[in-house]
Amino acid sequence: MMKRFYILGFLALIVFDTLAQVSFKFASVHAEPLTMDAAWLVRVFGAPWIYGAFVGYIGAFFTWMTLLKYAPVGPAFAASHLELISVTLISVWLFDDTLTLPKIVGGALIIAGILCLARSEDKDSQQVEVEPSQAPAS
Amino acid sequence: MSQLTIILWMLNVIVDTSGQLAFKAAASASAEHDGIAHWKHMLKRPWIWLGVICYVFEFVLWLAFLTLVPLSVGVMLGSINIVVIMIAGRFLFKESLSKWRLIGIMLIACGVTVVGFE
Repeated sequence: MMKRFYILGFLALIVFDTLAQVSFKFASVHAEPLTMDAAWLVRVFGAPWIYGAFVGYIGAFFTWMTLLKYAPVGPAFAASHLELISVTLISVWLFDDTLTLPKIVGGALIIAGILCLARSEDKDSQQVEVEPSQAPAS
Repeated sequence: MSQLTIILWMLNVIVDTSGQLAFKAAASASAEHDGIAHWKHMLKRPWIWLGVICYVFEFVLWLAFLTLVPLSVGVMLGSINIVVIMIAGRFLFKESLSKWRLIGIMLIACGVTVVGFE
């Protein structure tokens, strides 16, 4: 069933994206202090977290490409950015982030913006390309 | 936000946008080829490599940035990349900014501004 495929695909995308961001945060915390030198990079790559971020990115990439083959680009685009919600909730749980008013209001505005962009993508993809995009002279 | 945080954020926006634009340039400069030929054509030209270099820098910058801000704030501030890339696409690739895109861009920009006061 196609509907189940979409839902599973979008969920997988959000899970991979969330895994990537949470792993990035763990990697950065583990590698502190932020000295931005070779020793810092050694601390980053010496812990397992950064590899979780790679898994998340690679998983998200292939899920995205598979979804794009079948799903309309608008909802797919929105889903690819909705990890904002899952990442925020998980960071409250794992990293003791607090849900302050600016975060809630700002986050809601960003989500609303993403949904508008998703809507525009949907409409644009329904039309045949009227103005082909031009590549810069290369 | 400290000065270093803002510098890292801005640098991240710059390399992410440059990377995306380079990938777009790579893909559209080779658009007349298909399949393996498409990839061969892209790999022989500088655009895709510029994109890869940008992404390597972005990876390091994002890690440094996340050390300084809470993860939830980080991903919200990172949403500004969507806006910058769309505006850059408008000027460099003549991509259209429809009504819904403009509304979306403005909402995201407002949201990022509000989060910035956090």
